[in-house]
Amino acid sequence: MKRCRGSLITAGLMVVSVAVVLASIGVGSESIHFGAAWRDWRAGRPLADAPELAILLQHRLPRTLAALLAGGGLALAGCVFQALLRNPLATPYTLGVASAGAFGAYTATVVMRSAGLVLTLGGFSAVQAFAFVFALLDVSLIYLIAVRRHHVSPPVLLLAGITLGMLSNAGMMLVRFLSDPGMLAMMERWLMGGVDIIGYEPVATLAMGVLPCSMVLLLQAAQFDQLGFGAEIAQSRGVNVRRLQTTTFLLGSFLTAVVVSEVGPIGFVGLIVPHAVRSLTGSRHRLLMPLSFLAGGAFLCLCDIFARIVLPGETPIGIITAFVGGPFFLYLLLRRRFGDWEA
Amino acid sequence: MGRCLESQRVSFAYEPEAPVLAEADVSVTGGKLLGVIGPNGSGKSTLLRLLCGFLQPVRGAVLLDGRPLSALHNRERARILAFLPQTVAPAFTLTAAEVVILGRYPHLGPLGTPSGRDREIVLRCMRETETEHLRHRDFGTLSGGERQRVLLASILAQEPDLLLLDEPTAALDIHHQAGIFSLLHGLARNGYGVAVVTHDLNVAGQFCDRLVLLSSRARIVAQGTPPEVLTPDLLSEAYESSIVVTEHPITGTPLVWPEPASVREGAP
Repeated sequence: MKRCRGSLITAGLMVVSVAVVLASIGVGSESIHFGAAWRDWRAGRPLADAPELAILLQHRLPRTLAALLAGGGLALAGCVFQALLRNPLATPYTLGVASAGAFGAYTATVVMRSAGLVLTLGGFSAVQAFAFVFALLDVSLIYLIAVRRHHVSPPVLLLAGITLGMLSNAGMMLVRFLSDPGMLAMMERWLMGGVDIIGYEPVATLAMGVLPCSMVLLLQAAQFDQLGFGAEIAQSRGVNVRRLQTTTFLLGSFLTAVVVSEVGPIGFVGLIVPHAVRSLTGSRHRLLMPLSFLAGGAFLCLCDIFARIVLPGETPIGIITAFVGGPFFLYLLLRRRFGDWEA
Repeated sequence: MGRCLESQRVSFAYEPEAPVLAEADVSVTGGKLLGVIGPNGSGKSTLLRLLCGFLQPVRGAVLLDGRPLSALHNRERARILAFLPQTVAPAFTLTAAEVVILGRYPHLGPLGTPSGRDREIVLRCMRETETEHLRHRDFGTLSGGERQRVLLASILAQEPDLLLLDEPTAALDIHHQAGIFSLLHGLARNGYGVAVVTHDLNVAGQFCDRLVLLSSRARIVAQGTPPEVLTPDLLSEAYESSIVVTEHPITGTPLVWPEPASVREGAP
């Protein structure tokens, strides 16, 4: 009966995801005639002569894919960080990755401006490159502090992450304080997050960061069940707890760094999606982890649709995730006994 | 053929200047229930963790059927040797049956998908520990006694030959304590090798086949059958206070009491 329920939830979520993806391709400021776009495609017309096809292929499809990858990656990272830190409040940003990325992004603007350099390097903007490098510095520092030869201490991991997050925030405020107000607008926009990308380069970067990390994490689902049950008993059953903790921390952080540097520190997905899915599936990670990935992607895609239609122009997606996700999460908290977390 | 897990002249210290165990020779063998007793801080839990291979001895070796335990792969070891820590606090909600099926981990493939056979083993282990009726209950809402039985079922589902348990009855009333111990006694009769750390000397004396008595001075004071170990002299030495031993009115096993202060002071 349990298994039957699991496949029912999976099927339902798949249907919802497909619907959201189709809607995401169909909805936008320009209304598109799909028949015309299809004929242009069949005729092999160049994109310059086929505006509707160009919008579909160069704007809508890439941003939909980016939302799926970013949302899925963040939700999965939240899910494994909650198991790793044994804490329901853990998110992909708990270890300071987003703050460090934001600090990097602010620094990038100032450095580029004062050095008189261009703000793009190849496919990456300097903002993205700096965000990524700063996030990785954060991860390496935490690794040095919390990962010991024999064990990894979740509380030390948590405290180091929060401290580095605060330090990054202070650094960010310092940069803001010192820099030219005109430059800040661009930064502010990055902070609010957005998947309004053009073309496939950002999608490829996201895919290269998110997919391999997610694969490796998903393969360890059975071990997360054991870790959530208790580190010592997990070890007695043959789980290499230290290795699991280390790979989870590194892969989860790397994945988050890639997502944050591409689309900005989009909040909420990594916190509420795993909890919402857990309320449906229970705590078996074999089901919880892949469904969190799927639901996270669908959720961000949905938020992106709202971002395109609620206000004229593009509303920053970070605002939408909070306004859509927050009330829903509060409803979940109200509705059920919150006995899921006893640790 | 029964398994044999033994420590050979094992010494251990968390910090070099404070030895926890010195030259300890202990063996856990199939068909026997071994009680590990001694005062707080005498290294009982440390001994169990050395026998599990969680801690590496500073000197000496832990052998399983004559081979070094450290030569075994983690999962291979887990199929022979199961460990139940003093406290288990799951971070998530699980039903009792989900807790028990977690014990199948060392037998499952890389994706950890349980088969029909695994589910049968889970049911059998729940029957053996009389927890079958609890299987849909939320583990967190079970009583202390029910929890310990479910945890016992989960380590039995590991299908080990040897069980190492750290104070499985610490939080239980005397009735449930006796229940768990008679279950362990029954498991030993069925061929399992069981080692159990406990503070209750009377229960240990009643149910265990052999006892190891540790002292706070990092050494083993005595090993043997309960009547050999539970003597006023040995216990007083280990606990560094006067201890009285009488006889159980029904079973004749040793009954242990701290000597009342009034007796020591010579008052009536």
